[in-house]
Amino acid sequence: MSAPVYRLENLQVRYKDRLVLDVEHLEIGEGSILGLEGPNGSGKSTLLRVLAFLETPSSGSLHFMGSPAESCDLLALRRQVTLLLQDPYLLRTSVFENIAYGLKVRGIREGLKDRVFHSLELVGLSPASFAGRPWKSLSGGEARRVALASRLALRTPVLLLDEPTAGVDAGSAVLLKSAALKAREEWGATLVVVSHDMAWMSQVADRLLAFQEGRPGRYVVQNRFEGPWFEQEGGLVSMKIGDGQSIVATKPPSPGRTGFLDAEDITVAVLKPQGLSTRNAVRVRILQLSLENGSGAVLLKGACGDRILTARLTRSSAAELGLVPGSEAWFLFKASAFQWE
Amino acid sequence: MEFIAQGFSQALTLLLSGDRETWSAIEVSMRLTFLSMLASLLLGLPLGILLGTRTFPGKAWVRVAVDTCLALPTVVVGLLVYALISRQGPLGSLNLLFTVRGMAIGQTFLALPIVVALTASALESADPRMLLTLQTLGTPPGKMVFAILREVRYAVLAAAVTAYGRVVAEVGVSMMLGGNIKWHTRTITTAITLETGKGEFSTGIALGIVLLFISFALNGALSLFRRRSAS
Repeated sequence: MSAPVYRLENLQVRYKDRLVLDVEHLEIGEGSILGLEGPNGSGKSTLLRVLAFLETPSSGSLHFMGSPAESCDLLALRRQVTLLLQDPYLLRTSVFENIAYGLKVRGIREGLKDRVFHSLELVGLSPASFAGRPWKSLSGGEARRVALASRLALRTPVLLLDEPTAGVDAGSAVLLKSAALKAREEWGATLVVVSHDMAWMSQVADRLLAFQEGRPGRYVVQNRFEGPWFEQEGGLVSMKIGDGQSIVATKPPSPGRTGFLDAEDITVAVLKPQGLSTRNAVRVRILQLSLENGSGAVLLKGACGDRILTARLTRSSAAELGLVPGSEAWFLFKASAFQWE
Repeated sequence: MEFIAQGFSQALTLLLSGDRETWSAIEVSMRLTFLSMLASLLLGLPLGILLGTRTFPGKAWVRVAVDTCLALPTVVVGLLVYALISRQGPLGSLNLLFTVRGMAIGQTFLALPIVVALTASALESADPRMLLTLQTLGTPPGKMVFAILREVRYAVLAAAVTAYGRVVAEVGVSMMLGGNIKWHTRTITTAITLETGKGEFSTGIALGIVLLFISFALNGALSLFRRRSAS
């Protein structure tokens, strides 16, 4: 078996005394797609900068393609990896020069135009009308696509994407996502993607890691319930969740807390069951069923008013229930299933 | 007031007829400012980039020192460089006093802080994503300086124009280090000082017009360049 593209051991990044990234062990296999998820400031972007060799870890070891990174030439390492920043920066020149830049500094002159044009096509921009345009004349979504094209043109073995679809129009988001996947299809690139687009991530990523305060954990799909909660009798709290329905939970440390409910802790039923011990039965309309990569489980998204809840089922139980988008179902969970922030 | 109007018409005659003395001062000024600008850009741009992008102990104090040098009085620079290059000075053997090269050393001290400070400011206020982007696209360290300069080219050009404005218009350094020697070290500004003292307003005004024209042409070119690339 070949060495993983990255191997991190006890890797830490500190800013002054603050620990911003703490990874005990992480391996990223060749040609895989790793998804990173978590709240802002949880260390995802720092990890991407470390993987892009733009930031040196404060301690621990980082192996790239089997060799320790500190013993390799930094420029040679950087040229195997490229990072698309969140809200990317375009060079103050034309679209063509932006995409050609990385190739030119690598001394690639032959077939330059073809590679630039092909990259533009990958991100769904017509070379004829975009290549000559100045950077300033692009919309936000177009600029993002040009920035991705300038990374794709380099055909690096590793492509790192920081929130590639945040804040762009729906059309651009679709194009950005499919272009990123072409890096794996066309030249077997390894991808590490930070994204909040969970529907996409659960479909394409081989593995998902949830970051919390600088540490990656096992990925669990969670439903968030932000406080305030209202006190009830019997040591319970309740919250209205839309569509005239409410849920109850065992008492949190304080009523303003956010409660998290694992998708795995939700049981799904087609008909409202009677005489159950679970305190919560929420009627939902099924929106989407998708396959969770890596685990083979099925993620079921159901709407209750404006709120969308996600449940996680095995494929066989999803098949037994026979649910399709649009059908009505019941999500059942215990009042004690909540975890508090 | 009549002598001013007279001065203007005589100035035009001097310029258009190619008066040798007038044109010699213009030529010396051009040669001098070319040398001092070349030196201050070659030294100042890398220093400005270092100051604007790196962190090191005592950086804040270096910044204060550079900013203080922005206001260096020309006569003080003249005095210090005079001490340095005069016959008894440490560089006396190079015979730089009363030469254009000697004057250029003095002017470099005037222009250098401007180039360093404005380049550093341009980089400090530059987009923090710029450096990361240049790195992740694979820019080798040797080409990084040029890549950065290309990204902040307008700010750097503005710094150069500002520095040029300072050296082309100063009198103190040119007078003290050049000695205002006709045909050799007489510049536009030292000539104006001399001619005014002699009551020769027309030559003074002619040279003043040239000085204003240079400034106008430079700033006009900068503004045009900016507008063209903004479109």
